[in-house]
Amino acid sequence: METVLIRLGLTLSQIVVVMVAVLLTVAALTLLERKVLGWMQDRMGPMEVGPYGILQPVADGLKLFFKEDIIPAGANKFMFSMAPVLSLVPALIGFAVIPFGPDWTVDVGGVNFKPFVITDINIGVLYILAFASIGAYGIILGGWSSNSKYSLLGGLRSAAQLISYELNVGLSIVGVLLLSSSLSLVTITNAQAGGFWNWYFFGGGGFPQALAFIVFIISAVAETNRTPFDLPEAESELVAGFFTEYSGMRFAFFFLAEYGNMILVSCVATVLFFGGWHPPYPGTLMEYIGMGHLLWIEGIMWFVLKVAFFLFFFFWIRATLPRLRYDQLMRFGWKVLLPIALANIVVTSIVAFLFPGS
Amino acid sequence: MKLKEWVKTLLFYEIALGMKATLSHFLHYKPITLQYPHEKKQLPSNYRGMLALLRYDDGTEKCVGCDLCEAACPSRVIRVVSAEVPGEPTKRYSKEYYMDMTRCLFCGLCVKACPVDALGMTQEYEWAVYDKRQLQLNKEQLLAIGDRNFPVREKRLEFQHPNVAYFNVGFKEIPQKEL
Repeated sequence: METVLIRLGLTLSQIVVVMVAVLLTVAALTLLERKVLGWMQDRMGPMEVGPYGILQPVADGLKLFFKEDIIPAGANKFMFSMAPVLSLVPALIGFAVIPFGPDWTVDVGGVNFKPFVITDINIGVLYILAFASIGAYGIILGGWSSNSKYSLLGGLRSAAQLISYELNVGLSIVGVLLLSSSLSLVTITNAQAGGFWNWYFFGGGGFPQALAFIVFIISAVAETNRTPFDLPEAESELVAGFFTEYSGMRFAFFFLAEYGNMILVSCVATVLFFGGWHPPYPGTLMEYIGMGHLLWIEGIMWFVLKVAFFLFFFFWIRATLPRLRYDQLMRFGWKVLLPIALANIVVTSIVAFLFPGS
Repeated sequence: MKLKEWVKTLLFYEIALGMKATLSHFLHYKPITLQYPHEKKQLPSNYRGMLALLRYDDGTEKCVGCDLCEAACPSRVIRVVSAEVPGEPTKRYSKEYYMDMTRCLFCGLCVKACPVDALGMTQEYEWAVYDKRQLQLNKEQLLAIGDRNFPVREKRLEFQHPNVAYFNVGFKEIPQKEL
């Protein structure tokens, strides 16, 4: 009984820490995105709230919190209320299997406790993919239940887009799974230890997964509905796409879901292709200077750095690329990315078969 | 050539070029925008802002009520009610002078048309109001705008009788109809 309570308390505190970190990152991202976009477009971005606009997320949050919650006439109220939750929960729940730091096991009161991953389930990748698919339901239902043309069009587009690109995400990951022979993100991270040449992107495990990574990152951008694949919420065509009719906190939920998905996808890309928390050099600096018990600081720092780079990449392509046309999107997904991903699987499996354990 | 294009496509050459452009703007960050209410742009000296009625240095109004500005205005902004100066039957002045600034397009034709330079264009542009009726300006308001924007007034010459239309507008400045 006591061990159960201890485990519960530990896991809950872990969840709280991760959730708070993710939500704070989302708040920072809303500001950073506008700032980075502004800087890239020779503007300043938000400057009014607080010095250099750093309190803008607070103002945005307060505004959304106190806004009137409107349910349009003729909307399916239940689905309309469910959709934002259905969209937000999968975006946040994926963080449960992401290893943020070293794979340590600490013994707390007879309970084996991993401080840097909430749960190390052996199908972590599948779990994330499955919940990403459920997140698509939120978008589709939100678009359908609003009783609005724009929302419906956005929902339809997102349905087609998410199905097409989910496939590519799944297939591009397969190469990594073959090489690591595991679906657990902790195991995959551990297999990439000892320098950047062991990261799967650069050829750790036998065959470089650079192509798979390119397919993955393009499909991930499409999955998170970000420019240049932001067809479901195309501002210039569909007002706001699937959340046209949403206001107040429900809108904020969709917003949080989008940014949460962005962070999640960046985390997954980091873990699968760029070694997770492992530094790009063998060992850790903390071990060299004789403070091995503090190497988790360095690990988390590298993890955050890599994720931050991917998040910056998301902003960067948003500032650069225009939106794809719908047929271009479909053709690119099915005729370009899918064959590349399949070819990558074939080559990787051949290499993994011929040179096992290299 | 075909091969070169293929290689470019495969390496995302065009996209990389675009990303380089945005990144260079990001690294050499130099905003071209101004934080408007806090910083304001230096206006050019010939900026055509809010219209104003002017006075001579002795405080008398320049306007002689000739209605030329009303005739010149393309959007019918101006309405002048001309009258004789009480006690001086030969002198005229604008008894009432209205401007509907909701319609004004700041072309400056009224200023050009004025024979006595009684109209001026100021550098004021912050005239957003909550009630449209606040933009229906009367003579007192227009004179006040002139007073606060043109502190140096034109000297009133003795031989310049206010009723003598002293045409200081060169006809060459008025676009002639080509025959």
